[in-house]
Amino acid sequence: MASVAASAPMPAAGRRGFRLRWLGEALAHGYVWAWLAVFALPFVATLAYSLRTPDGEWTISAYQYVFGSFTGNLLLSVQTTVITIVLNLVIAVPAAYAIVRYPIPGKSFVLSTLNLSLYTPAAVMGVSLVIAYAFLFRIPQTMTGLIAAYVVGTFPLMLVPIIVALRDLPTVFEEAARTLGATRMQTFWRVEVPLLGPGISAGILLTFVIIFNEFLVTLFIAGPSTTTAALRVYNLTRTAGFQPSTAALATTMQLVSFVVVLLFFRFFGSRYLKGTYLI
Amino acid sequence: MTRVQLDLVTKRFGATIAVDAVSADIQDGEFVTLLGPSGCGKTTTLRMVAGLVDPTAGQIRFDGQVVNAVPSHRRNIGLAFQSHALFPHLTVARNVAFGLEVKGTPKAETKARVADMLDMVELAAYADRMPAQLSGGQQQRVALARMLATDPRVLLFDEPLSALDRNLRDTLKYSILDLQRRTRKTAIYVTHDQSEAFAISDRIFVMNEGRIEQEGTQLDIYLRPRTEFVANFVGDNNAISGEVAGFVPGEPGEPRLVDVRAGDLRLRGMDPGNVREGDRVLAFVRPENIEIVADGFGGDGENLLRGQVEQIVFEGPTVRLLVDVGGTPVKVTAGGIDRLTLLDKERRDVTLRLQDVTVVRDDPNVAA
Repeated sequence: MASVAASAPMPAAGRRGFRLRWLGEALAHGYVWAWLAVFALPFVATLAYSLRTPDGEWTISAYQYVFGSFTGNLLLSVQTTVITIVLNLVIAVPAAYAIVRYPIPGKSFVLSTLNLSLYTPAAVMGVSLVIAYAFLFRIPQTMTGLIAAYVVGTFPLMLVPIIVALRDLPTVFEEAARTLGATRMQTFWRVEVPLLGPGISAGILLTFVIIFNEFLVTLFIAGPSTTTAALRVYNLTRTAGFQPSTAALATTMQLVSFVVVLLFFRFFGSRYLKGTYLI
Repeated sequence: MTRVQLDLVTKRFGATIAVDAVSADIQDGEFVTLLGPSGCGKTTTLRMVAGLVDPTAGQIRFDGQVVNAVPSHRRNIGLAFQSHALFPHLTVARNVAFGLEVKGTPKAETKARVADMLDMVELAAYADRMPAQLSGGQQQRVALARMLATDPRVLLFDEPLSALDRNLRDTLKYSILDLQRRTRKTAIYVTHDQSEAFAISDRIFVMNEGRIEQEGTQLDIYLRPRTEFVANFVGDNNAISGEVAGFVPGEPGEPRLVDVRAGDLRLRGMDPGNVREGDRVLAFVRPENIEIVADGFGGDGENLLRGQVEQIVFEGPTVRLLVDVGGTPVKVTAGGIDRLTLLDKERRDVTLRLQDVTVVRDDPNVAA
């Protein structure tokens, strides 16, 4: 009945309905785009600032510092991020197996404890680490200290997506591999790792996004030789005011994170990021 | 080329006994089926043979060698799962090659073997597809090729067809039988579907509550059920409760017969060998083994029952009747021309002749 009514010759009413619908859709799109613009505005402003000279000319000369005096900071950021990701993986994969596949008494308590750092304010964490590093471990202001702090802080971000992926993975693939003659290790590398891939890569992405941009905890525990890119942006702004070169460093960091996240969604989709920090 | 023996194999999960002292001797090249309802322990038994579950007690032997402590990947078995369990990230060819690759088979040999296996299941054209691009039947055939590629000693099937639709099941069960016959490997097949079990087995083990109720050929199981459970589980059956009234010698060379008194009814059936006069027994007769004899047939001989037709259901090749015999409902299946004459006439009073009556002890410990 509905389709008959729609195709019936009622030109005036039909045209009015079409116009109303068009208006509704335009409003809906406009609403979404308006908010997107509001969210993107700070980044666009930073980008614009990095491209301006004091005389109001457009130039990319500020970006020479990204490949000049800032290179060390960016490299340190990349280095600490990569090492932290590797350490997180080495700890989180066996931990996820233990939690999902084996009966452990007090499983939910263990899981809550492991996630503790996610609920701890960064400043509290920073203070605790300063105390612990100075008096307990004697690693203040070192890269080791930095990486250790990042692992403690982001380990749950790696663990949770891998747990989700492992729970979704039926044991039948493992059993099929075993009956076909694969050892425990062969089964792990040839069957389970590829099938856990999306979960593992989600963990890698989350760790990357957080650590590469981490600032507050770093502020507490970094020293002069361990100034990450994010900390450098803060230090420069505090000491020299807001310069186009600082804006260029900020924009570069933003771009790196943006591209990494974009690539992730392109290749793995958003399934394993559900319920995590990102969505 | 392997004889598989289970010797009092038991599996407990906490307080529940999943498999209770199961013994079986499966000959080299034999195709046996473990048949039973869900939860009867058949899958757990199979998984113990596969090495995926450790027995709590008992021994599993391949060719006389105890394999209890041999891990799954060194037992050299092939296991077909209910879901095909193909690795979703590998192509069809890589799936079939998996078992060979992990065993370090040379590349050229692996390639040739994979081609052979895919030819055998008629899927050579699909070598480069991903499993998700195949139909359910094709996936299960790839799984068969994968399990046969490593030339396993024993083939194990865990309800491999239960996820498929009926037509496919019918075709594939004969493909499985054909592959087993051609490779002449010992096979253990788990199913809850009796028609599947009957179609492909050399021997059937009927399982219930962790125990083997009866083992035997299709005919043994169907015509000579030895327990109430087997009589009820396999095929359709009428159970008439009564007691042993006496024994009669059988035909020369045949076992003796037993007379059963069930209220006003008198039935004569095969002697199960474990009953005495006065014992409570159940007499079983299959609906298709009941003949409807002509009106006014005289006499009150044994296994002749008079009753009234309560219900008639026409099913095409057969007609099913429900006949009230002195208060006991008896199911009857009539075929051939009988089914049409029964429909034509408004006949209420019928005389039934029961054939192949099986008698089993009415064990009060076993719930009906």
